[in-house]
Amino acid sequence: MDMELDRISSLPGHVVDQILSVLPIRDAVRTSNLSRKWRYKWSHIPHLVFDTQCISITSEDQTIVKNKLVNIIDHVLLLHNGPIYKFKLSHRDLLGVSDIDRWILHLSRGSTKEFVLEIWKGQRYKLPSCLYSFENLIHLELFNCLLKPPLAFKGFRNLKSLDLQHVTLAQEVFENLISSCSLLERLTLMNFDGFTHLKINAPNLQFFDVGGIFDDVSFENTFLLTLVSIGLYVNGINDRNVSRGSSSKLLRFFVNLPHIRRLEIQSYFIKYLAIGKIPSRLPKSCVDLNYISIRINFNDLEENSVAFCLLRSCPNLQEIEMLGRPEEQAAVGPLADFWGDDHWKCLFGQLRLVKIAGISGIGSELDCIKFLLSNSPVLEQMTVKPASSEGGWELVKELLRFRRASIHAEVIYLEP
Amino acid sequence: MSDAGMAVVKPEMKSYIWLQTADGSIQQVEEEVAMFCPMICREIIQTGMGSSKNYAISLPQRVNPSILGLILDYCRFHQVPGRSNKERKTFDEKFIRMDTKRLCELTSAADSLQLKPLVDLTSRALARIIEGKTPEEIRETFHLPDDLTEEEKLEPLRNITDDPRIRLLNRLYARKRKELKEREKLKDVEVEEEHADDRSVEDLLSFINGEDGDSKGCRTSKNKKKNRRRKDQSKDSSSNNSNENQKKESDTLPSACPNDEVSDILAASPSRTSNFQDFDYADIDDDDLDPCKDGGT
Repeated sequence: MDMELDRISSLPGHVVDQILSVLPIRDAVRTSNLSRKWRYKWSHIPHLVFDTQCISITSEDQTIVKNKLVNIIDHVLLLHNGPIYKFKLSHRDLLGVSDIDRWILHLSRGSTKEFVLEIWKGQRYKLPSCLYSFENLIHLELFNCLLKPPLAFKGFRNLKSLDLQHVTLAQEVFENLISSCSLLERLTLMNFDGFTHLKINAPNLQFFDVGGIFDDVSFENTFLLTLVSIGLYVNGINDRNVSRGSSSKLLRFFVNLPHIRRLEIQSYFIKYLAIGKIPSRLPKSCVDLNYISIRINFNDLEENSVAFCLLRSCPNLQEIEMLGRPEEQAAVGPLADFWGDDHWKCLFGQLRLVKIAGISGIGSELDCIKFLLSNSPVLEQMTVKPASSEGGWELVKELLRFRRASIHAEVIYLEP
Repeated sequence: MSDAGMAVVKPEMKSYIWLQTADGSIQQVEEEVAMFCPMICREIIQTGMGSSKNYAISLPQRVNPSILGLILDYCRFHQVPGRSNKERKTFDEKFIRMDTKRLCELTSAADSLQLKPLVDLTSRALARIIEGKTPEEIRETFHLPDDLTEEEKLEPLRNITDDPRIRLLNRLYARKRKELKEREKLKDVEVEEEHADDRSVEDLLSFINGEDGDSKGCRTSKNKKKNRRRKDQSKDSSSNNSNENQKKESDTLPSACPNDEVSDILAASPSRTSNFQDFDYADIDDDDLDPCKDGGT
């Protein structure tokens, strides 16, 4: 009998919601045509995802495509019945600004907790003010948007995760946003403009990932921050800073990161850290740091000093990655004897894995490798990958000679 | 299955928990396996039951002995702490292979035992079965009664409170129905070609021209590239400052995609949708439309 065999219709509501939430929106809505029991099941799904994968519209005419899309979303939102926990809109054909405003207004009357909006084409989309009244927001992800909250905006009280990419917002807006979202645990910022000073005041922040152009970064109250990944996309330090004889950026950077565990210094960020006086060692060792990755120009004295200072101050490193900047190597002459100096003794008691890449086999690079090999008694593996195959053989010959503190260490040469 | 039910401590000092299914039969199970189920775990802690055959824990009705066996297999594997994610995933994929009826029973039972990871696994499996199928196919797979009349399938989804918005929708649907009827009169053949079942839903979803888009035509677009990890300037740094400009694509040139050196890092798409990419690429859009064409990022 059909009643006997039909097991799926009698599954509990939240389970059916879960099944339907995983389906592309089209399939989910189509279930309303299956049988009497299924008519309204879809209308309770807590996740609504409208992206290019879920909705396919075949047409050459952009206007038709856009209109269809808008209609679909309108229909679904109207017929949906129940809380919308997660809303994602990321369709490449979506261009209607007023439509998006309308949908956000609709959502603001509910209790949406996760909101993802990706504007694929066109200028920065200015978010309507009703977005800032999403009280229950836990995760916010925006791509290609402009943020200008009303003056009365007091932050998202429940926000734990914020991901802003290709966004524009003013300096005060940024600072207020970060400091007023006191529960913030994860922050991702990529390619932003409108502000240049990254002032991060976030007591609960654990994860910080930034890539863009900025003048300054400062942490306040960030004692829980354990993972930091920073990339500065502009080469060449702002002259203003240098001439002001500013204090050591390196020192300032670490002063409020006592428990940092993973650090990635990408693009040209190391140049930023080289501003000001570079100490030979940090006043307080980063005892929790177990992973570091540095993009460095091995020919630059200041950058090498920064790297060296860092390595000396992190006794518990387990994994090191150093990436050369191949296009810069030839620019300045090789650095004489920086790492090779026997005074710099350092013990990496926990270092097990080292990755070196993008090098060309010149003096200071080899010195650095030698330094690492002779100071890591428990090293298990080091991989070396040159930037190009020129001089590869010479590199290998040098590597062969180096003394290793660890009898278990494997030095592996990878083809470029 | 259990034998002479005495609460004797076995020589190897393992402790067992006794479970009773709704049909009365009793099983014993290693303690660590049983504790993997939150519901059982709670029963043990709160009521102290389960230590002997006479005090076996009564399981919810939705759990029958054979399903219980499956669930315990799942628990037995996953409760071992040392396993890698890959191992677990491989096990899950093999584990989930069963007929649809059993899958539904398993989902229901896992839910009643509050075993969320298993509910997640089975829900995804059920979703995979539903995805891309026509209503008839789904009805057949799950033995659903086709109890909606043809008219009802076209009828708008009426709200009990008769919301004015729904009334508007009804009017729009009525208009659509009228159109369809007229089409019917003109060309019977054409109407038959459309799947009757799909019509109202297609109306719903493609209001303007009621075109019966095949769900299999969903194209997996390339994920928008947002750099997460490798923020290095191995890509050209010249475009660092021209982020704004790169956004402004001309609408009439969908294929405009200058040197794209973007790295292949995923945008944050929900991982669940990425499980079901078995679509054919019906509309081959140009491989472009990647708005995120910032070189230096």
